[in-house]
Amino acid sequence: MVSPAIALAFLPFLVTLLIRYRHYLVLLYRAVLVAWLRDRLTGTTREQRAFQYLLAHAIPGDPHHILQTFDQWCYHCEHLSCVGPAKGRIVERLLLERAPLWVLELGTYCGYGTVLLAQGLPPGARLYTVEGNPQHAAVAEKVIRLAGFDEHTVELIVGPSEEVIPQLREKHGLMKADFVFMDHWKRCYLRDLRLLESHQLLAEGATILADNVLFPGAPHFLQYAKTCGRYRCKVHRASLEYFRAIPDGVAELRYTGAR
Amino acid sequence: MPKHEKSTEGNDGSGDNEEGSAAENEENVKGTDKGRKRATPRTARSHGRGRARHGDEENEDDEDGTRRAGHHRHRNRRRGRAAGNEGSDSDTEAAKARKNQANQKSKEDDEEEEDGKGGKSGKGKNEKKVDKKPDKKGKKEKANKKKKDKKKSGSGSDSDSEEEPITEEELAKLKEEVEEKKKLIATLRNKPWKMKKKLSVLKEAQLFVEKFEGALGKGKGKKFYAYKVMMTKKWMKFQRDFENFKTACIPWEMKIKEIESHFGSSVASYFIFLRWMYGINMILFGLTFGLVMVPEALMGKPYGSLPRKTVPRAEEATAMNFATLWDFSGFAQYSVLFYGYYNNQRTIGWLKFRMPLSYFLVGVGTIGYSFMIVIRTMARNANDDGGGDDTSFNFSWKMFTSWDYLIGNPETADNKFASITTSFKEAIVEEQESRKEENIHLTRFLRVLANFLALCTLAGSGYLIFFVVRRSQKFALEGLENYGWWERNEVNMVMSLLGMFCPTLFDVISSLENYHPRIALRWQLGRIFALFLGNLYTFIIALMDEINLKLEEEKIVKYNMTIWEASLYNGTIPENSTAPPIQVDPADVPRGPCWETMVGQEFVRLTVSDTMTTYITILIGDFLRAVFVRFFNYCWCWDLEYGFPSYSEFDISGNVLGLIFNQGMIWMGSFYAPCLPAINVFRLHTSMYLQCWAVMCCNVPQERVFKASRSNNFYMAMLLFILFLSTLPAVYTIVSIPPSFDCGPFSGKTRMFEVISETLEHDFPSWFGKVFGYASNPGLILPFILLMVLSIYYLNATSKSYKEANLELKKKLQSQAEENKRRNKQKAQKSNEQEENPFETEPPKPKGGKQDESTPNQDNKKGQDGNESKKTGQPQEASSSQVLQHPSLAPSNHYPPQSQAGNLPPPSIAVTRPPGPRRYGMPGYPPGNPCFPGPQPGMPRGPHNYR
Repeated sequence: MVSPAIALAFLPFLVTLLIRYRHYLVLLYRAVLVAWLRDRLTGTTREQRAFQYLLAHAIPGDPHHILQTFDQWCYHCEHLSCVGPAKGRIVERLLLERAPLWVLELGTYCGYGTVLLAQGLPPGARLYTVEGNPQHAAVAEKVIRLAGFDEHTVELIVGPSEEVIPQLREKHGLMKADFVFMDHWKRCYLRDLRLLESHQLLAEGATILADNVLFPGAPHFLQYAKTCGRYRCKVHRASLEYFRAIPDGVAELRYTGAR
Repeated sequence: MPKHEKSTEGNDGSGDNEEGSAAENEENVKGTDKGRKRATPRTARSHGRGRARHGDEENEDDEDGTRRAGHHRHRNRRRGRAAGNEGSDSDTEAAKARKNQANQKSKEDDEEEEDGKGGKSGKGKNEKKVDKKPDKKGKKEKANKKKKDKKKSGSGSDSDSEEEPITEEELAKLKEEVEEKKKLIATLRNKPWKMKKKLSVLKEAQLFVEKFEGALGKGKGKKFYAYKVMMTKKWMKFQRDFENFKTACIPWEMKIKEIESHFGSSVASYFIFLRWMYGINMILFGLTFGLVMVPEALMGKPYGSLPRKTVPRAEEATAMNFATLWDFSGFAQYSVLFYGYYNNQRTIGWLKFRMPLSYFLVGVGTIGYSFMIVIRTMARNANDDGGGDDTSFNFSWKMFTSWDYLIGNPETADNKFASITTSFKEAIVEEQESRKEENIHLTRFLRVLANFLALCTLAGSGYLIFFVVRRSQKFALEGLENYGWWERNEVNMVMSLLGMFCPTLFDVISSLENYHPRIALRWQLGRIFALFLGNLYTFIIALMDEINLKLEEEKIVKYNMTIWEASLYNGTIPENSTAPPIQVDPADVPRGPCWETMVGQEFVRLTVSDTMTTYITILIGDFLRAVFVRFFNYCWCWDLEYGFPSYSEFDISGNVLGLIFNQGMIWMGSFYAPCLPAINVFRLHTSMYLQCWAVMCCNVPQERVFKASRSNNFYMAMLLFILFLSTLPAVYTIVSIPPSFDCGPFSGKTRMFEVISETLEHDFPSWFGKVFGYASNPGLILPFILLMVLSIYYLNATSKSYKEANLELKKKLQSQAEENKRRNKQKAQKSNEQEENPFETEPPKPKGGKQDESTPNQDNKKGQDGNESKKTGQPQEASSSQVLQHPSLAPSNHYPPQSQAGNLPPPSIAVTRPPGPRRYGMPGYPPGNPCFPGPQPGMPRGPHNYR
């Protein structure tokens, strides 16, 4: 039997862990426990709740305000894993710099990223956004329309990304993408990047942005991008959406063409 | 000749009075001229005339010098005339080969400059001796060199004829010059010149030395001289090789450098500390091993001859088991490793080695030596930081002086590169730190809170240890056999667990405080120090209790012994009391508990378990974690390397304190276990390799790299404190507890230190004992102590006042430098205005003696300035002479009329002067190296007043 004194000696260790990883614990609580509880209590999904809040508070047709309302909801009510305001600014700036005409977004989720991208597009540009989950896609569709973007500007494609990407050219008429924004499953970043490469969907000098490369993190993707020689890779350090203390980053890849 | 000499001397007189500043002046002028030369491309056409004239002047000077040197004796009389001729001569020459000259000029000027330098350094060495000479000397040297130049180039037609009559005087000169060159070659590395220039100067100097070394000493002395030169060369080479060898002999130097380059100086400081500790322990080990263990093993009575040297009968069965040996009992306990094995025989062996005395003196000497070395190191380190701020121009220092041009192999170059990058990071972080402003109240509150939390932790852990120790005493009273492993090892477990986890907690707490990492490290060190101290003293108190128990036990054993002996005698020889004593196997003799050996064993066990804990922590906490992070990163749902577990950082504070406390344990225990230093040496040796490997292989550099300047002294202070604290219990036990009656070198005495008086009685004449008795009289000792305290106070006060004076001087230096800069600017402006005046530029260049006469006024002025500045040292001199370069230039007309300079003096100055954001007089300039901090090749001659 272990004596209580020895057990007590582990107390500082526990306290250390608690203090050091408090942000992660708070994230766990907000993003998992609260969401699960609310799902049980209200019977609706988190995304629907967010959309209801949006309907009640946002000004239709004003993408800026819609993004703000999203942020408000995430700060004050529940956690939603979208791009977030801090990283959003990085994305916006890069979009303005590149001014791409053909934009591809992988992972629509609630449409936050889509609205963010769409509002920064130059005139005449077209945004394709791919979402695997039909429920999320339904919410995203409504959000996009609420922000005032029609189907000529934003095309929402429902289907898993590994199936959609090979058909992009034939079915959807996307010849070459100038700008790709990845924010779906972190495990799929590398696979989808390779798919894009193999189907030659990347234009020369195309920019690929990948969200959440540090937390939860996509190490293989980063490693591949750094070592394969076809990209110039740069990681913009920022913090996780709505959690300033958890470091995260956006990877910016410039496609320099095949070897 | 005498006449001429006199005349030149007369001319030079004013310059000679302050040759230091004059020499500098020359340099400065060159600096200026170089600047002008740089400016020439722009204004080439307008200055054509000026340039030509300037060129011929220079040329004339050259030839002048040459002839003077060559034909000192016969030419001096017709010099005045010759000068004119030469002037015209060289005029044409200059006109012919202006371009050539421009090329050559730089070379010549280099030489000139180095000459000036040589002269300067020479003067620095023997300022008094050469009051008037150096100028002359410099001149002659120059002349000689010119001669050489001519010879080399073959342009001087008359040089061949001049070479023949080498007299003693010239020989001496030549020798001197060769020496000069050699010196230059030796010091070339330190010169702040461009690489190209360095190379060319070096090549030239080497050529010169080669050429003239052999030629020197013609005749009978030649062979000897050549031999001498060869030998000196070989000697030099040997010395250099020896230096290399010495650096190669510094243990682990390369490893530490590599770590420093990757992890910064703070981590390296730990390893340097470790290495230092290793050295100390080597000496302690040498003392105990050489003077205690080896004599006892060689000359003492062998194992089994005495009860104290034999394993008792009850333990014999298990005495050789590994578990027993690992616990340092059984055969290990009854060996030279521990106190109890030693016999109280006064002398042993044929050498009549006084074992008890040696044992006692080694014990005292160990501690005394440690005190001495720690204090000496502290004092030496304290000298390093001279006080005041050396932080100005930090970045330019790093930028321009970081690279080590002697690096030969690519790996070292990589390391150096990494280390420079790291040092830049450190500096930038520090700069940021100093500029930051934040909410002071919040920080204060957070700091108080953090300290409160730390105190709570300390109190809690202290109470926990106290509680555990009390409980263990209860267990011990009831008999340990009734309890399990956990209960028996509870104290050790709790102590090591707390020692492992509390520092991490402190680390987390200290992130609240938001200190600069270096200060945070100190706080962290202080807190862990308190924690470890609590642990250590709890341990000692427990040990003291145990000692008291053993003393009680000893009394009983002593009583039993007499009964046992009586029974032995009674039972066997009742009839004959004079019969020889009965032989009893020493293993059967009952014996006392021998508390000294127990104490020694405890310390050895603690050291060993501490070492094991450290190694296991490294293996699990660092290595396995690194392996996990590295290889599980391929199949994990988040990024392990950036995210949650990550790689570990090197824990400086914990490691340093572990080392320090370990050393404290050694100091405390080495009196009772002579093997302790040996164990510690082994531990330090292995931990050096293990930790070096672990750091390089599984740790990442700290997020905030920082410089560990002066943290070494902080470590030392802690070490001193621990040394003091660990001496206390050791001395207490030695002085106030009677030694065991049947084990150890002091058995049979009432106190251990009685061995001294015993020696005095037996081995010294009686008067010595008497003197010693008088000297140890408290009436004499107390005043002596008082005197010592007073002298310490006095020394402390004086050192403080010196420090203040140093600071004051530094400030003065700084302000004077600024003042000089300002004056410099003003004068430069004035001189520029003067130049504008066409009347001033008109007078033809003064020639020969005339020119010499024209400048003394300025020189006088300069002399005053120079004298004033001389008080504060060389840098000052330099800048003061810089001040004067312009006025002295203006009349000698080295400035061509600058037509476009007009009313814009500052820009033209900026062009004509070497870029001088940081000149010699400025603070932060390394003391004792007052050479010119910038390359200045190729500038025309300055004023010729002291030539």
